[in-house]
Amino acid sequence: MRLISTLRFIIAVILGKAMVYIARLFPSGGTSLPGYIALTVDPFCLSRLACGFERIIVVTGTNGKTTTSNLIAALCQEQGWQVINNHEGANMAAGVVTALLRAPLKKGRRYLAVLEIDEGSLKRILSQIKADLLVLTNLFRDQLDRYCELQRLAAAIRSALALQPQCHLLLNADDPLVASLGSSRDKVLYYGMARVADSRQESGEVHEGKICPFCSTPLNFKYYHYSHLGDYSCGRCAFKRPRPDYLAQNLAGWNGGQHFELRFPGGSVTLETPLRGLYNIYNLVAASSAALASGVRPEIIAGVVARFQPGQGRTEVFHLGERLCTLLLVKNPAGLTQAVKAVVDERQAQAFILAINDLAADGRDVSWIWDAELTPLAGSNIKRLICSGLRAGDMALCLKYNGLPKEKIGVVPDKKESLQALLATDAEGLYILCTYTNLAPYRKLLQKWEKQSEAAHLPSLSRPA
Amino acid sequence: MKLRICHLYPDLLNLYGDRGNILILAQRARWRGWEVEVDYRSLGERIDPFAYDLIFLGGGPDQEQGVVSEDLKIKGPLLLEAAEAGVAILSICGGYQLLGHFYRSARGEVFPGVGLFPVYTEAGAKRLRGNIAVELGFLPGGAPVVGFENHSGRTYLEGGEPLGRVLYGYGNNGLDGTEGVRYRRALGTYLHGPLLAKNPHLADYILKLALERRHGQVELEPLDDALEMTVNRQVYLRFGRKNFLKFRRPRSSSPNKPAFSLR
Repeated sequence: MRLISTLRFIIAVILGKAMVYIARLFPSGGTSLPGYIALTVDPFCLSRLACGFERIIVVTGTNGKTTTSNLIAALCQEQGWQVINNHEGANMAAGVVTALLRAPLKKGRRYLAVLEIDEGSLKRILSQIKADLLVLTNLFRDQLDRYCELQRLAAAIRSALALQPQCHLLLNADDPLVASLGSSRDKVLYYGMARVADSRQESGEVHEGKICPFCSTPLNFKYYHYSHLGDYSCGRCAFKRPRPDYLAQNLAGWNGGQHFELRFPGGSVTLETPLRGLYNIYNLVAASSAALASGVRPEIIAGVVARFQPGQGRTEVFHLGERLCTLLLVKNPAGLTQAVKAVVDERQAQAFILAINDLAADGRDVSWIWDAELTPLAGSNIKRLICSGLRAGDMALCLKYNGLPKEKIGVVPDKKESLQALLATDAEGLYILCTYTNLAPYRKLLQKWEKQSEAAHLPSLSRPA
Repeated sequence: MKLRICHLYPDLLNLYGDRGNILILAQRARWRGWEVEVDYRSLGERIDPFAYDLIFLGGGPDQEQGVVSEDLKIKGPLLLEAAEAGVAILSICGGYQLLGHFYRSARGEVFPGVGLFPVYTEAGAKRLRGNIAVELGFLPGGAPVVGFENHSGRTYLEGGEPLGRVLYGYGNNGLDGTEGVRYRRALGTYLHGPLLAKNPHLADYILKLALERRHGQVELEPLDDALEMTVNRQVYLRFGRKNFLKFRRPRSSSPNKPAFSLR
């Protein structure tokens, strides 16, 4: 029996590896296919593959997984470690196996794996691998048709974590539901953000996690950063925001981006970033904390963070002639609200494509767009709002009832035509906000057009290797 | 004229774009030149249901629904009285279940509801989710009402009148072809998306219901609903094709013609 299972594993790895090499021949090649094949041959290959790694860092949560895990990988690489990660955001079992298959089979070279894992696949994957550090970014409502409700998701994550007593947790202290997962466990670290200028007394947005995960009493919030992230305490039981071990403070705008101070046990470091938006600060703090907790030297962090660009449609910029076009992934109300808030800039004439699909990976139910805060789009600097994708009509209606001028709203379901319409505007800043299955097609189109326009500003932004 | 809406438990029952319904009703009233006032009332807050033309309850996650059902022990009788007096009530998903007689969980526990609708709900194993189209016989024009449903509870009518007949999708329980319930001017339904986004005919019907108690029969100025009706038709046909086994055409024979094509 033992022999057969070993043989199976070897065949799975050989086939998977072969597919990795074949996939490399294609520019957009398989981020999941090699893993899918390996898993078909040996459904348990993940645990044996994972054994070959010195350390495994797992990143999960609703928003910011890809950016956070890519930054952790970049930081660890800068420290001089050998790192493997699923940087394209393929985060289900097949994508994780594919990433692990990419590590060269050489004796004596020990690798660190930084794995972004879909919160819905966490239980399946954690039953097979032993993680050393798990980062949980946040839990927002997302694709309710797939993940059911947040409380249930949190319960599933809790039971997955119960299988990993050896694992250190790095949790977002500002998210009540996330922080509650650290109770009755040791080896837990928290990160968070001190009050900033944007923090508000009232959170006008629709959000969850407002009631205590332990006793169902409504939580009292001293302030909200956004959605349900903030400083909270329960009026009835002892539950309150844990004291963050890693804390971002003194956040301020800087040269189009932001800078802040990150306090960590035994020191602090000032970080500057070209990225906008409060949600990106959370990503940077999560990643920097994870790196510091893993032993990356603090002096390395500032340098990497200052030049880090997420790429892969997570705020990716393309040069189309003289103009810049920014591509952003949006997949849930909190993400859309934050994306709109981050990119709307009144000093610039702007035009948008909002591309909403309803395929399995996007979430079949598109009613979430109505829970986002879209009022920043009402500014007079916004020239045109083009709705695209399979649910272009739903998006257009949402804009209409949010009170945006009818003459600015266009419905162009076809992607290529929507891009042409975007370029036909006289706006300086072009933005594409799209759901998951729209991301790759738009990226491809933009890359093609970027080449054609032979921009003077080459090279475009690239992911730090 | 003034339209007064009360959004009950907006912080707890707000699962699937439900606040969009308030937005849509308010906008459609404002576009016709009325004043609109929306009050938000949650746990432990007093309400005077007779001060409103329409009371709205949305859907919520299990834990939140539990908290709300406790609070409804106090507000529930007031809602009952208001419904009897003809105040319009719109309830969706979780809100709809809470206004029924009771909810029986998978473990057999029975949670009493407000008892406004002659329905009860039982927990089911499989979630009933997907796109749904319903025929509402009382709506003018014959266009279907389209939306999305996502519920594990199965709701059964004990007498009473369903809101509509399922054209495709599951509806109340996936068995008897009924969807929602209506009692006097109170409506309950599983449809979200939000409910009123692609169904301006239903939105106007609810506006009329809401105004009837204080203003009698009201004639509404027509609005330009070309975009709404085009999206309605498009979504209806797209998922109708996918559900062709369960696909039934609306009985009334005047389908809404799209005013322009979206391609």
